[in-house]
Amino acid sequence: MKPEEYAWRQLQTHAAAQLRRGFADRVLRAARGPQDETWRQLQAHAGAQLRPGFAARVLRAARQIPGVPSLRDQFAFSAATVALCVLTVVFIHSRSVRLEDERNLAGWEQLADEVQDLVHYR
Amino acid sequence: MEPTSPNALADLVRLAQRGDEAAQHELIVSYQHRVAGFVYAMTGRSDYVEDLAQQVFIKMIRALDRLQAPAQFESWLFRLARNTCIDQLRRQKLRRIFIPFGEEHENIAEPAGAVGTEELDALRHALAQLRPQDRALLALVQEGRSHAEIAEILSTSVAAVKARLHRAREHLREHYQPDHET
Repeated sequence: MKPEEYAWRQLQTHAAAQLRRGFADRVLRAARGPQDETWRQLQAHAGAQLRPGFAARVLRAARQIPGVPSLRDQFAFSAATVALCVLTVVFIHSRSVRLEDERNLAGWEQLADEVQDLVHYR
Repeated sequence: MEPTSPNALADLVRLAQRGDEAAQHELIVSYQHRVAGFVYAMTGRSDYVEDLAQQVFIKMIRALDRLQAPAQFESWLFRLARNTCIDQLRRQKLRRIFIPFGEEHENIAEPAGAVGTEELDALRHALAQLRPQDRALLALVQEGRSHAEIAEILSTSVAAVKARLHRAREHLREHYQPDHET
């Protein structure tokens, strides 16, 4: 055997020794991809994560959590909020206008009294 | 466990729509394992399965009266499941942006062999490498949904479903290594 041929054989032997047992089987399984049985195992494992009484717990939780308000309810709530805000603004505005008027009136009355006093002294 | 015929299923759904609790209970029991499997395929996390499956079924009960065609219940249910899982994965991603230190706590991979056989570990590993949309696609196929139903669930065309499914299967096969050590 020629030295280079021997070296190639050595290399081949070393490389082949790196392959773990069952290599061909693993390659075939990888090439085929996951089989239905594997998907079934996945589903069985997931199903086993559900504690007994799952359905009853879901129904109880569905009853306890308040439902999402309907679009109509949301509109009604928005309209009521807007109306409350408008009423508050109108109330505050009219009150401040009335107070301002009363203050002005008091000022004018005081001025009129002072003018009358002045006329009286003359 | 499941209603034996499409008609029986449609009748059961109609009863549940009218608020019959026994019918709602039967629907949950009939589909809980399949929904759990779907959730697990989507998230790869055993500890998410019960919470997410519960969310799916609560949504189902709440929205059941809006389902126009009881015969399409299964497609509708798996659309709810898909959307719930994708929302959860998005929330998880967002949370990671805002709480970077939480990442290592959130992604504790289940050790190899902890959940089953070498094949199951390989499938979990391969699914984890795919985009959530592709995982959903493969899980829906495993659920026995037709291409037309999947197209409806994903709001896309049958041709697009076929093309995406082909790519998703290729990717899954690329990452599926039964001797993979996670």
